[in-house]
Amino acid sequence: MKTNERIPSSFRDPSGFLFYQDGLIYRQINIIYKENYEYLIKSGLYKSLVDAELLISHKEIDVECANSEDVYKIIKPELISFISYPYEWCFSQLKDAALITLKIQAKALEFGMSLKDCSAYNIQFKKGNPIFIDTLSFEKYHEDEPWVAYRQFCQHFLAPLVLMSYKDVRLNQLLRIYIDGIPLDLASSLLPFHTRFKFSLLSHIHLHAKSQKYFADKTVNTSTRKMSRLSLSGLIDSLETLINKLNWQHQTTEWANYYEDTNYSEVAFQHKKQLITEFSEKINPKIVWDIGANTGVFSRIVSTKGIQTISFDIDPIAVEKNYLKSVENRELNILPLLLDLTNPSPGIGWENQERMSILERGPADTVFALALVHHLAISNNLPLYKIADFFSKICDSLIIEFVPKSDSQVQRLLTTREDIFPNYTQKTFESEFGKYFTIQNSMQVKDSERILYLMKKI
Amino acid sequence: MLLAFLRLKKKQFKYFNHRIILIIFTALFCFIFPQIAYAYLDPGTGSYILQLFIGVLFGLLFTIKMFWGKIKIFFKSIFSRKKKDEN
Repeated sequence: MKTNERIPSSFRDPSGFLFYQDGLIYRQINIIYKENYEYLIKSGLYKSLVDAELLISHKEIDVECANSEDVYKIIKPELISFISYPYEWCFSQLKDAALITLKIQAKALEFGMSLKDCSAYNIQFKKGNPIFIDTLSFEKYHEDEPWVAYRQFCQHFLAPLVLMSYKDVRLNQLLRIYIDGIPLDLASSLLPFHTRFKFSLLSHIHLHAKSQKYFADKTVNTSTRKMSRLSLSGLIDSLETLINKLNWQHQTTEWANYYEDTNYSEVAFQHKKQLITEFSEKINPKIVWDIGANTGVFSRIVSTKGIQTISFDIDPIAVEKNYLKSVENRELNILPLLLDLTNPSPGIGWENQERMSILERGPADTVFALALVHHLAISNNLPLYKIADFFSKICDSLIIEFVPKSDSQVQRLLTTREDIFPNYTQKTFESEFGKYFTIQNSMQVKDSERILYLMKKI
Repeated sequence: MLLAFLRLKKKQFKYFNHRIILIIFTALFCFIFPQIAYAYLDPGTGSYILQLFIGVLFGLLFTIKMFWGKIKIFFKSIFSRKKKDEN
C-alpha cells in the first residue's frame, strides 16, 4: 500500500485532503477550515448527522503524521470497504443519494451550516445505505446567502435523475463523461417538451440552463442580492418534493426475466447453489465480486453470511431489482452496481486518476463468474486467453462456470452468428485458465451440461 | 350528466389556468433575460441569480405548505360556522 501519498481525487478543496499512510486513509484539515470544523463539532451538527448515519464518523488523531505546513488537524474517517461512483448506480441508488444530500443540507441549516459542495462523489454506500463522506463540505451559513452548491446539486443529481425518469435510464452514463455532472443545457435539450409544463422542472432545469447561458459572460454584483432563509428552505423543499415523486417505469430489457427465461431445471438450479455454497466455504473470502450477478440470487449465498459482496450487472433493471430487494430486506453486505465488463469503468478526471477504474478497486478475494464466459467469448468475440488473463488481475480465487457449446443458451447465441469459435471448448478453457490458476475443484451441475470450477491463483 | 359536465369543465379550466400562468412566467423570464447562446464561461452566476428569482416563489409555496393544515382548519371553521348559522 502507498505511504504518505495524497489520494488523487482529493485536490480541489483547499480545506484539506485525503492521504494514505501505512495502508490507512487519513484526512488532513487545513488551518483555513479550522473555524468551520470547530463549528461543525461544537454546534452538534456532526453528532446529529453521525447518529442518524448520514455522515461518516471519524476520530481525531495525533498531528504527527501531517504532511503539509497548513495542517490544523488530522482525522481518521471510518473506512468504506468499496468505493462506487454515480455512473455505476441504478436509478434508485442515485435517487436515495440525492435525497440524503438534501436531508443533510436541511439538517445543516437547522444548525446554522450549509453544504458548500454537492458532488455525487461525496456519497458512498455503507452497509446498504448511502452515506455522506466529505466531512469538510460544511460551512457556516450566512443569513441571506443563496446556496452555493445549488448548481452542482442540479448537475450531479437532478439532471441525471430526470433524464433517467423522463427519457432513458441509460442516460446516467453521461456522468461518466461529465465529471462535474450533466450540463443543464444538455439535460434541457434532451428532456421531452412536456417537462416545461411542470413548474419545478421548468425552474430547476430549463430556466436554470437559460439563466446559466445568459449570465455566462456577465459580471454581476452578488453582494447586494439576498436570499432569505425561507426562500432557501423553499428551494430545498421543492427539490426534495420533485425528486421524491420521480420514478422509473421499468422497460423490458434482455436480462430482467433471465431466471424465468433460462434452460435450468429446478434440480440444476439447486445443485448450482449447493456447489457455490461448498466452494465459497472452502475459500472463506472477505470480499466477493459477483460479475454478471443479475438480480443477485447467487450473490446472496455469500452476502447473507456476512461477506461483503459487490453484485455487478450490465442490466439497469437487474441492478434496480437487486438494490430494491436489498433495501426491502435491509441487507447490509450486498452492493448492487452497474458494470459492462466489456467496457468497465475507466479511470476518469484529472490525469485519469480522480475516479478509479474498476481494476484499481480490486483485486477481490473471490470472483464469481457464473454463466458469464459464454457471453464474453461468443457475444463479444473475446478469446479465452484474454478472459483468463483478465480474471487473474481481479481476484485471488475464482468460482467460474463453463457453459459448453452444446448448451441451449450458447446455441441461442449462435443462431444469429457464424460459429467462428472453434477454440471455445472445455479443454481450451481449462488450459488457458490453467496458466494463471490451479483448478482446485470442478463439478458438473446436475441435470445440465455446465461445469462449475473452483480455481486458486498461482 | 350536468354535474359530470361541470366537473370536467372545472378540471379543464384548472389545467388551462395552470398552463397560462406557466406560459406567462416563461415569457416574462425570457423577456427579462433574453437568451443568447454563449459557451460555458461561468455557469455559477446564472445559478446564483436564478435562485434569488425562483427562491421567492418556492419560499411562498413552502410557507403555504407549512401552514396548509392550519389554513384548512381555518376555512373549515368558517364554513362550519356558516352552516351552524344557517341552521
